[in-house]
Amino acid sequence: MTKPRVAFFDFASCEGCQIEFTNHGDAVILELLNHLDIVEFREAMTETTNEPIDIAFIEGSFTRESDRVRLQAIRSRAKTVIAYGACAVTGGINALKNHQDDFAEEVYGEAAYMPHLRSGTARPISAAIKVDHEVRGCPVSKEELLLVISNLLHGTTYAVPTFPVCAQCKRRETVCRYEEGDHCMGQVARAGCGAPCPADGIPCEACRGFVDDANLGALEKVLVERAGFSQRRAVAKSRMFTANLRS
Amino acid sequence: MGAYFIGAHELLGWVDGLRESTRIIGPVAKRQRFVFAELESAAQLRLDYDVTILPPKKVFFPPKQQILAFDSERVSDCIDPVPTVLLGVHFYDVKGLDMTDFLMRERYEDWNYLAQREATTIVASSVQSVAPRAFWGSIGAHVRPQGHDAMLTKVSEGYVLETRTPKGERLAGLERFRHATDDEVAGAERVNAAVMDQCSQLMPYDSKEIATKVRESFGNEELWDDLAMDCFSCGSCNIVCPTCYCFDVRDSWNVDQTSGQRTRYWDACLTREFAAVTMAGGQKENFREHHASRFRHRFMRKAAYLHDKLGGPACTGCGRCAAACTANIADPVRVINTIMGVTL
Repeated sequence: MTKPRVAFFDFASCEGCQIEFTNHGDAVILELLNHLDIVEFREAMTETTNEPIDIAFIEGSFTRESDRVRLQAIRSRAKTVIAYGACAVTGGINALKNHQDDFAEEVYGEAAYMPHLRSGTARPISAAIKVDHEVRGCPVSKEELLLVISNLLHGTTYAVPTFPVCAQCKRRETVCRYEEGDHCMGQVARAGCGAPCPADGIPCEACRGFVDDANLGALEKVLVERAGFSQRRAVAKSRMFTANLRS
Repeated sequence: MGAYFIGAHELLGWVDGLRESTRIIGPVAKRQRFVFAELESAAQLRLDYDVTILPPKKVFFPPKQQILAFDSERVSDCIDPVPTVLLGVHFYDVKGLDMTDFLMRERYEDWNYLAQREATTIVASSVQSVAPRAFWGSIGAHVRPQGHDAMLTKVSEGYVLETRTPKGERLAGLERFRHATDDEVAGAERVNAAVMDQCSQLMPYDSKEIATKVRESFGNEELWDDLAMDCFSCGSCNIVCPTCYCFDVRDSWNVDQTSGQRTRYWDACLTREFAAVTMAGGQKENFREHHASRFRHRFMRKAAYLHDKLGGPACTGCGRCAAACTANIADPVRVINTIMGVTL
């Protein structure tokens, strides 16, 4: 059996999700290379390709028309396209800018008017091309990534968890952030990460986006009544990873 | 079986002695809460705990449990029980284990649970602190805890250990214990009776009355929509419940892509996909699509459906669900009292 040809591409992102793949280390990656042929991956190799590929992992969000052209070119030569990481799946942290227009000088100072900074709305790559699978998270979970890859290799589909992070916190007996006087969005955030943040004492920021039918009204109520947020902050909390998912 | 007494200053020595020959799992502190965990030293034992985050069911049925291992040649089970003393289980959690013991034997004997259950000696212990959301004082009072091998009760100056089975009897070595006097046994009985009154009598109904009324409320959509309004469908109430036993099964390959494992995970009927199925032809159907119908299902199970099998509610009054629910709507006291109070 010939090995599937795999390539990684990136758009507006920090490329941390690609680094997360390399964090598996030699033992895992060298074993995976018995099953995959990695033909383009700029975090780990210099070669690139214009040939057809079997699996394209695309990191980063779609922020300008030139991205659309490049995304369409990747789509046309890739059998399977995987939106890889929060930026590609939902627009991720880049989408913060979609709700404001006064950030450029604040962030870039004198360089704010450089032409390459003139990007548009940060969108998921699915706004430009058809996506076959999604690997969520900021960064992606490298363990979950292995499951996605092995399912692809076996011709099956990885069943993405659709329940909220709370269930994963409870399974590992993490003391709830609310019991510590803190806030959290684990009730509405998609799980699959294994809930590492609350276990480290950090509220869930919903980096994987929301579950379907997320009860945002109840979230606001809990943030006000239990975490002591103002109504305004409760509504805005947290746009960090969910700016494209709320009004 | 016998009744023994051990001085307070001797207790930890006894536990450390047991540790030399067997694994001991007991309540230990985790930040301001408690969890059942393997004791690395007897000093970690917190018999003054109020309630643990997860019930002791996890010792026999872990949240994530490998049930098969496979490679290209063969498939093997993963049943590998470790002799264990489960120490410091409150009576309401013994009742929870009695329920899962029954349910895991019903029709199909689940040896992934039963093997470790049979390799374990359970020492119950008296409740020294009552959890804020506990309501075991007012639910299923007619259901007696049965599955423990011994009962350890804190009395002044020490502990009374009453053994219920030969397994329990073997723990009471006479180098540290002496036979308890009748007064000491009577004292232990008083302690355990008195604690029942420290737990608020919140639900003044018989469980059969509750079962009937809850069942009758099934079609009252307005009632259930209202009760479930703030539900996140997060499943926390399921995950922390001592009587929930549903699981999901997933297969995964190792990185060699040939060997792998089948793993079961605790599932939760409150979550959206629990009742979603794919039918022939690929159509998807979710027979509890709305969050209120899932919320209702949990109460139907605990109060009515399982009541028929167990002869009592599938609820121990531990209050874990009430405490775990950030929206503060899962509390059976609130829900049952509301249902009992409405005219259907």
